[in-house]
Amino acid sequence: MLKYLAKRLISMIPVVIAITIIIFALVKAMPGDPARMMINPALKEEQREAAYRAMREKLGLDYPMPVQYVKWIAATLSGDLGWSSMNNRPVKEVIAEPLRNTLILNVFVTICEIAVILPVGVVMAVRRGSLIDKFWQVFSLIGYSMPSFFIGLSLIFIFALKLKLLPPGSMPIAAYGKDLAYYLSWFKYMLLPMLSLTIISIAGSIRYVRNAMIEALSQDYIRTARSKGLSEKVVIYSHAFRNALIPISTIIIMSVFALLSGSAITEQVFAWKGIGYTLVLALNNRDYMLVITLNLLSTMLAITANIVADITYGIVDPRIKLE
Amino acid sequence: MEKKTVHEPNTHPKESTGVKLGKSFGSMFKRLFVREKDPLSVLEEEALQTPTQTIIKNFIRTKLGVVGVIAFILILLFSFVGSELRPIDESYQEPALSNVRPGANYLKYPSAIVKEGVKEISSGISFSVALTNQGNVYIWGKQPIYLSGRATSIFKLPKDFPQGKIAHIAAGDRFWVAISEDGKFYGFGYNNFSQLEVPQNVKMKIQTTAVRQLLAGEGVTGILLENGEIYIWGSTLATRQDIVPAAYQGRIVHAEITPLNVVVLLDDGTIGVFGTEGNEISDIPEELTDGSVKVVDFTTSGRAAMALDSEGKLHIWGSVMHGLLNIPEFEGNVVDLFGGKNNFGLLLDNGELVYWGANHFNQLKMPKEAKHTKYVAVYSDIFQNFAVAEDGTISAWGHEGFIFGSDQFGRDNLTRLIHGGRISLTVGAIAMIISVIIALIIGLVSGYFGGWVDNVLMRFTDVVISIHFMPLAITLSTIVTGSVPEMYRIYMIMVILGFLNWPGLARLIRAHLLLEREKDFVLAARALGVKQRNIMVRHILPNIFNLVIVNVTLGYASALLMESALSFLGFGVAPPTPSWGNMLDSAQKATVIEYYWWRWVIPGLAVVFAALSVNLIGDALRDAMDPKASEK
Repeated sequence: MLKYLAKRLISMIPVVIAITIIIFALVKAMPGDPARMMINPALKEEQREAAYRAMREKLGLDYPMPVQYVKWIAATLSGDLGWSSMNNRPVKEVIAEPLRNTLILNVFVTICEIAVILPVGVVMAVRRGSLIDKFWQVFSLIGYSMPSFFIGLSLIFIFALKLKLLPPGSMPIAAYGKDLAYYLSWFKYMLLPMLSLTIISIAGSIRYVRNAMIEALSQDYIRTARSKGLSEKVVIYSHAFRNALIPISTIIIMSVFALLSGSAITEQVFAWKGIGYTLVLALNNRDYMLVITLNLLSTMLAITANIVADITYGIVDPRIKLE
Repeated sequence: MEKKTVHEPNTHPKESTGVKLGKSFGSMFKRLFVREKDPLSVLEEEALQTPTQTIIKNFIRTKLGVVGVIAFILILLFSFVGSELRPIDESYQEPALSNVRPGANYLKYPSAIVKEGVKEISSGISFSVALTNQGNVYIWGKQPIYLSGRATSIFKLPKDFPQGKIAHIAAGDRFWVAISEDGKFYGFGYNNFSQLEVPQNVKMKIQTTAVRQLLAGEGVTGILLENGEIYIWGSTLATRQDIVPAAYQGRIVHAEITPLNVVVLLDDGTIGVFGTEGNEISDIPEELTDGSVKVVDFTTSGRAAMALDSEGKLHIWGSVMHGLLNIPEFEGNVVDLFGGKNNFGLLLDNGELVYWGANHFNQLKMPKEAKHTKYVAVYSDIFQNFAVAEDGTISAWGHEGFIFGSDQFGRDNLTRLIHGGRISLTVGAIAMIISVIIALIIGLVSGYFGGWVDNVLMRFTDVVISIHFMPLAITLSTIVTGSVPEMYRIYMIMVILGFLNWPGLARLIRAHLLLEREKDFVLAARALGVKQRNIMVRHILPNIFNLVIVNVTLGYASALLMESALSFLGFGVAPPTPSWGNMLDSAQKATVIEYYWWRWVIPGLAVVFAALSVNLIGDALRDAMDPKASEK
């Protein structure tokens, strides 16, 4: 197990290096001059030139690209992520909150998603062709044909603007400190983006759960189990479902991965200050270090998700030896 | 969809037409893709079925797939044929018509006004008001949307409204006013500049003096009294239309309000202008002010004005926009003249109409009957035109309304939806083609050569697949759009979407290639001495063709969604070029979501329908190619 993990991690190293090079090159190719963005615009003409020179020196922009890249990697590895020109704070401080917001949102969405797709997927497979099955199939088809922002806008229209049940977006401000009321209202603000993302991820994954379950139910050992007189409940839950869990676990991990990518748009619609929202803000403000860090972060999350998927596969299916 | 398919190709009475259709399609495909040496006899053809025939037959059996095909063809016709039929002027904006509700009944006047005889018709941006000879008022069209509380319905007349005793009416942009024979004033619609509330001093005047004319402009109301005095109120802070020069007051015969000025005809036959100074209208030609010609009538459009003198000569001045100053040649004497917002018109003594100016809303497109009808009166206002013939019938032309409403710049949502569809569908398709080409090359090369080539290419695929789509796409979009002229931006979006979408398909192709390569027919081909390259192209490629087709279809749906998402965030197709995504770009404000619902619901639904129909086709294709899957 450990050996496999080590091997898998080592094989990822060239991929990670390539990704860092790509991201670095992309950000360097962005229009504008980071040094000019960071000098004080109130300076006088002659002072500005000197300040600009000093800033270029400080940011190391006069070195050749490979040197800059190595310097950036070294700094990143030592935990120095640079300076965010948009917030005038170190990037490390800036990204802490968006990261937390995105992760909490996605954790809740994943919990809701699993809570729905497992029971519903099983029922769909067991009662194939029933009304429930058809309803969820249509739901899934329409759900994954819908742009995520359209689901978001519709939810805002219905729940926030017409029924006036929930806030339409943004996040609460901790005016009176972070007491219980603050967390409650925080949760209330999270409900709509959560619902929106849950719908998207359920629509994307429920048919795979159904298919996995159908596959499992059509196996020979199910017939054996039935013919030896086991109750249908036992057949479905301890024979079929256990076996269907193997593909289902990958489906869930892959959908979490897709979620992280898709949440950028939903965050934008609901002004939920997560990674995606911050990235759009940073791009519009030409905050180079923040853009580079956020891209790196989301890519690393994706790679981690892939590795986790592989490992889970080995854990739920003892037949697969991780070698 | 769940129906078990029984394979009895020639004994299914119910599906005879479908099967026939399938056959004709099948033979078409066969001619295109399968090399046929000698044609089969009828018997043989029925007994044998090529895989393509089976697929098409199966596809037609899945009803949802056929529904998807029909829906997608309709969407294609809507966008591509529609954009030919309904050309777009991307730079044209009409702020006066911003955020107009969906509806197309601006020209559908009630028949009662024909019966009672028209005394006056006046139009606002989305409605018209008619006053009949019996003193009744009729309103038709659409309520202009109002967000503040200072507005009322334009349709709801109060109980004490003196129908039958109305003397004058006038419609402004989003409101209309009326005055009764006994001098009582009524106002409906927008009241954001208090244009519906008569100032106290004017109230006193109208009780003692008869009213000659009611006036209404953009947020401005005015009254011209029989004694030649004019009073203007409402949104006059910037335009100063309420300040009437002392030289004019008491001498005014006729007046008209333009967005920035008030133009008046004085009792000595000269023209006067007040309000904002130094614009196209305030710059009157000298002969109209020095008394050398005697003006009998005049009219105004949004940015120009035209006067008729006692010798029947026309004097025109103002902005050259929309060709407003180019009077066409005509024969006959001018009886009456009128101006819409961007056009002018003349009524000649032989009953003919002459129109010129802008034609964005068909203002110049007179109905067929106009050629042989003698008109006695014409009412042109904003973009709606109503002409009354000798026998009392009415011809209406001009702006019918926006079926799908208008956006914040007053642009027609339907036109933008049609052209946006053309852009979105094209961008999605080209992005898909780019990614399929890359995926095919990488998948085939990698699967066929194996070894270190495979290793390198697959690691490269890993790299691209690991990068999150959305963050990278918007970063890339910022880079290319910063350095590329606006007009190439759309091509860059296609390339970005194409370059980020291939890895999944490339992996799939490689995996299937590895499977196929081990099969016996490849071995047989090799044993026969078929060249490596031919084995690849002739034997293996056709076997993964089905897979590619299904994935291209499903991938197209996701490319459509990606484009709309990118444009929605403002990193895709840049306005003013419309796309379904960027039509929603402005819908991130709560007021737009709540009140101007047509601005986001309609383009959003268009994306949903397009993606849904493509997904239906893709699912049906997959089921048709893998009959086992459809039995699940």
